[in-house]
Amino acid sequence: MGAVKSARFTRSWSWVAALAAAGLVLPVVVADPFALDIFIRVLLFAFIGVAWNLMGGYAKQLSLGHAAFFGLGAYTSTILLIRFGISPWIGILAGGLVAMAASLPIGALCFRLRGPYFAIATIATAQVLMLLFLKFRDFAWGAEGTTLPNLGDAPLMMQFESRAAYYYIALALLTLGLAITYCIERSWIGFYLVAVGEDEDAAEAVGVDTTKIKRHIYLISAFLTALAGTFYVEYIYFIDPNTAFSFNISVEAALVSIVGGIGTLWGPVVGTVLLEATSALLQSWLGSGHGGVQLTVYSLILIAVILWRPNGLIGLFTDLYQRFTHAGAARARKVPFDG
Amino acid sequence: MLATLAQAVINGLLIGGIYALVSIGVTLIFGVVKIVNFAQGEFVMIGMYISFFLASSFGVDPLLSLLISMPTLFAIGVLVQHFLIRRVLGLGDMPQIFLTFALSLLLMNVALLLFTANYRTVQTAYSESSFHIGPLYFAVAKLIAFVIAMLLSAVLYLFLHGTDLGKAMRAAAQNREVAMLMGINPDRVFCVAVGVALALAGAAGSLLMPFYPAYPLVGQVFVLMAFVAVVLGTLGNITGALIASLMMGVAESLGVQFVGADSGLIVVFVLLLLTLALRPNGLFGGWAR
Repeated sequence: MGAVKSARFTRSWSWVAALAAAGLVLPVVVADPFALDIFIRVLLFAFIGVAWNLMGGYAKQLSLGHAAFFGLGAYTSTILLIRFGISPWIGILAGGLVAMAASLPIGALCFRLRGPYFAIATIATAQVLMLLFLKFRDFAWGAEGTTLPNLGDAPLMMQFESRAAYYYIALALLTLGLAITYCIERSWIGFYLVAVGEDEDAAEAVGVDTTKIKRHIYLISAFLTALAGTFYVEYIYFIDPNTAFSFNISVEAALVSIVGGIGTLWGPVVGTVLLEATSALLQSWLGSGHGGVQLTVYSLILIAVILWRPNGLIGLFTDLYQRFTHAGAARARKVPFDG
Repeated sequence: MLATLAQAVINGLLIGGIYALVSIGVTLIFGVVKIVNFAQGEFVMIGMYISFFLASSFGVDPLLSLLISMPTLFAIGVLVQHFLIRRVLGLGDMPQIFLTFALSLLLMNVALLLFTANYRTVQTAYSESSFHIGPLYFAVAKLIAFVIAMLLSAVLYLFLHGTDLGKAMRAAAQNREVAMLMGINPDRVFCVAVGVALALAGAAGSLLMPFYPAYPLVGQVFVLMAFVAVVLGTLGNITGALIASLMMGVAESLGVQFVGADSGLIVVFVLLLLTLALRPNGLFGGWAR
């Protein structure tokens, strides 16, 4: 048994090492800025998905309002940068803290609600924030938004000439998200979260403080999502309420996790790669300017996954993996609480 | 001042009638099938486009096209229930929420592909006409829409309380297992419930067409309003949804009148959050018997 376990351990870590190496050398091999842009998007949305997955996947609190934290992160760092000249490196942490602070009242309101009520309430909170920022004309530029000052190659201000730098930041963010998820999955918090996700009343009955555990994971999820928000506006040099609090952010965060595999470490990554690859292929076939094609295909994929693969497409890959390796060893890799 | 207030209340009530058709549909599906239909607004959108194309191609009056949009959407509802919703019943929250959510995304974006994002309007003889009673004015198109919406709600009420099928629906809503033991076929009842709910959404679309533009995302406006009304009126309670919808219409109209033109939605969302915080079970409680 011990031998199997250590073989499994080595195998799964060699996978991760190979992936990490590929991730690190990718910008050296791929110099095309358009291709690199796609990879940055993949990393960023995978990261947002990972952040969402902590809440939506493990604890099954199906939020459709994570744009609230994305937007707060984006606005906090941008306001600090433009109004006070503070570096986005500090702003990104400040944004995370603001999002954490915001998650407390939002959570206090929404955690009393279950299932669809919770989803609707989170949509409403993100929309209220967007509408508020549309109103803050003097302080936060209102509906017109603002471009970020271009400071040239200023690494201390999170601005870079080369796109590879942005790529590595996005890669670092995703790594952080995965590492946090990995640790949580293996700690008592992970087991509590899964208990809450499986059956909240039963978890409460055996002594899990469900409200407390949901509040804690919401703090972490909000913090991570806010980091993505800051990075995104620093990358595209523009902010307005419709970008920062875009409902699409909330949707995509949930979508990549569900398509990949809800409540699994790699699910959001698999989902993002599949969806973004589909989207890139569609664009190269049809060209851009066909409004609606991408989301049409995304929603068809989502419906197909829900009807036929509710545990996500990551299962397809583990099945294939099982077929091509020793079935016994592969079966042993099964996580104790998938599905 | 008093006249402005009364005018705002009247405008709100009239549009509230349309909200009522949408939210009665949402609450009916929730009551019977126990699913929150995130795509309800998109079926309003489909109803609007049906009326638009009938009017622009064949010159059919939008109110007359009610006779086509309602049966069409009833049929779509039966298909949606049979091929989609039925397959996620009894599964967890995730499939139940995201199935209709994905359907909503799909319909919006297919509409965007087919019809582009352009606003489509239908001009009728009564689109711009209005009449006065004292200082108050009534837009004819909205008044007609309101009256027909209230008539349809009344018909639904009679259907649920006066017919065997309606009673079977209420029985299945109260207790599915016992209803099955009494010889009720739940699949059939669920299909009828979703069909009726979508027919109401289609009716809302046709009624809106004389005075409201059709565009692919138009459903979002109505579904958000409907969610608030349905929660406020207690999920599953049809009379509650009706009353709450009229209240929502008035609240939105007062917000626009007294807070600012872009404040209607803020008022609605704040009301939703307040309701969820203070009275998560809504104002009325229980399934309307």
